[in-house]
Amino acid sequence: MLDFLFSGWGAFWMTLFMLVPFAAIFFYVVHRKSVTDSGPSTTAGAKMSRLEGIWLTVVFVIFVGVNLGSLKYMPTMKAAHAATSNQQLHEIDFSATSWAYDISNRQIEAGSTVRFSGKSKDTMHGFAVYHPDGRMLFTMMLMPGLKNPTTLVHTFNEPGTYKVRCLEYCGIAHHAMQDELVVVKRS
Amino acid sequence: MSIASTIVQNTPIFGKMFSVDKSTGLEEINAWPALMIMASFVWLAIAGLLGFVMPVTQLFDMDTGLFYTTLTLHGAALAFPFSFQLMMGVGLHRSGGCVGKPVTGWLPALAFITMNVGAGLLTVAVLMGLKVSLMVMYPLPLVGAQMGIWSMNSVVLGFTGIYLVLACMILCYPILMLKMTFFGKKRPDLVLAERSLNDPGMLGMILSAMTLLVAGTPLVIVGTTVMAALYGIIPMSMAAWATEPVVFQYAFFIFAHNLMEAMALMVMSAMYATLPLYLADGTRKLFSNKLANLALWILLLTSVTSFLHHFITLYPNQPAGLSYWGNIMSWGTGIGAAISIFTVLATIWQHGLRAEPGIMAVLVGWVLYILDGASAMVTSNIAWSYQLHGTMWQSGHTMTVILSMSIMWMGVLYHHYPVLTGRKLDPMLGSWFVRLFVVGGLGAAISMLAGGAAGMPRRFAAWNQEGWMVYGNLTFFFGAILGASFLVYAYSLLKSREISSPLGQQVAAA
Repeated sequence: MLDFLFSGWGAFWMTLFMLVPFAAIFFYVVHRKSVTDSGPSTTAGAKMSRLEGIWLTVVFVIFVGVNLGSLKYMPTMKAAHAATSNQQLHEIDFSATSWAYDISNRQIEAGSTVRFSGKSKDTMHGFAVYHPDGRMLFTMMLMPGLKNPTTLVHTFNEPGTYKVRCLEYCGIAHHAMQDELVVVKRS
Repeated sequence: MSIASTIVQNTPIFGKMFSVDKSTGLEEINAWPALMIMASFVWLAIAGLLGFVMPVTQLFDMDTGLFYTTLTLHGAALAFPFSFQLMMGVGLHRSGGCVGKPVTGWLPALAFITMNVGAGLLTVAVLMGLKVSLMVMYPLPLVGAQMGIWSMNSVVLGFTGIYLVLACMILCYPILMLKMTFFGKKRPDLVLAERSLNDPGMLGMILSAMTLLVAGTPLVIVGTTVMAALYGIIPMSMAAWATEPVVFQYAFFIFAHNLMEAMALMVMSAMYATLPLYLADGTRKLFSNKLANLALWILLLTSVTSFLHHFITLYPNQPAGLSYWGNIMSWGTGIGAAISIFTVLATIWQHGLRAEPGIMAVLVGWVLYILDGASAMVTSNIAWSYQLHGTMWQSGHTMTVILSMSIMWMGVLYHHYPVLTGRKLDPMLGSWFVRLFVVGGLGAAISMLAGGAAGMPRRFAAWNQEGWMVYGNLTFFFGAILGASFLVYAYSLLKSREISSPLGQQVAAA
């Protein structure tokens, strides 16, 4: 459940979860108070205040709950965990130049935890890795002129060909800036 | 007669929509705003046409260069000379009527000139080959010139245009707003609806002006240094610090993020001022002014530093602590939004609503703004940001925030139009505008968010991969409905009739 929630489509449904009840209540209130009965309501002030308290509490609980739930899925947490444990990391360094990547190793064994470290040599670039089924796993922003590389830790469990795309607009051949990583079965 | 009135009067088609009513003695708060609003609609027409060309280039597999040209021009035209200028025009007219001060002199003229000349220069630079998207993507302009993709002249021209637009938004407009609010003598003959700073209908206007000025100052300093070097006023070595991508990017996003928040503060303020006028007999008040003000303050305080969410995927170059801060502050803006949701709905529930097209446009724009806020909060969460940043989700978010605020301003304009022009609008056409907008706006926004959820990259001239074309087609379809809603709005402006003229005469004249 949480695995789905903190995916791209999970984000989509979360957004609709916030919009749809609000939109439904909005259109109900507008319909009720402008079409059916546009006169003043008899709802007591105390009841409105109670509703206000309930509404803000619900919002607060949802906001805190979602953000606490997301901690496990933050790549920064995985990077911190990798740095403080003795987890074996497969290092892949890469650099980006308009409009290609120079990747130290394009082949990864399934089950490996990889630390990607990347830099840009000219302008802003991205390094987004897509699962063979087409969904995006993660993206990294590469800004030129920085001393340290942008890094991210990810574990590849399924064999296949993973597409790499630049997601930071970098000029007229931006869409052609693509590469591939191959995840092979562990020998 | 004011020079602004003369320009409006002599402009074909668009001038007819906004010619100023000179019989009321309010020309001093109407002329420059009318000119700005008229110019914003000219830019909307340009942006709308370009918005159609973008998906067409993808559907018919046309030159990718054309896609990136239209992408840059569409975004820039929509965000600044349309949306911001519309806000500036309606906002100045409102403020003038709230504080009883004229919108005259060199400052409004300078604001108008810098915005439109700047946007014009940027357009010429893009037509010369500069394709940098509305976010500039610094240092892409310089890298492109070094690679010979576009000329250095186009970079200098484009930067000059952007600099002038920024000067309007960061300096001219906020200074004008603050000057009108805090300085000069009040003219009772110009007061339409007096408001103090305790009134949420005025508070947001001032918070917005302050935000633009404060959050924009670092970018003005960086931009001025870069411009001085580009024009040879100072040696390039003296501007080296400002040309560092990390300096430029952070200065840019401190401003760009807060620009959107400032525009939100301003339009929320306008909504708080307009809504009571459409409650029951028009004499009612908001559910709670204190609660409305609290929402504005929370939005201001949380949004100022939430810009850090733009750089979450730069880790560890942006430390995780700053990213968490950006994450939490972005969700904090949701608390302000929740308060405003309660205030607005409780107000309508308590007093009843006269659902006229103007206020309905404001309210449906606000619904779209809430959708946008939800999408923004989601993508500001660190876990989701890694899967959404750089995708169509962001384009959907940007398009929706600009669109929702613009529609709210168009609704506010609907309310002020009779004072501005001495004419009134057809409510039937107004209702159709609102209906078409609800379908087109929500549909386009949700289609783009869905594309982002599916991993479809933004600013990307090859939609025909991984089945992403379906999201492009849906966006195009709903975009066409959205375009139709704008055409209906423009038609209603063209067909507006004199307030004193009975409907029968209008029909007979037609």
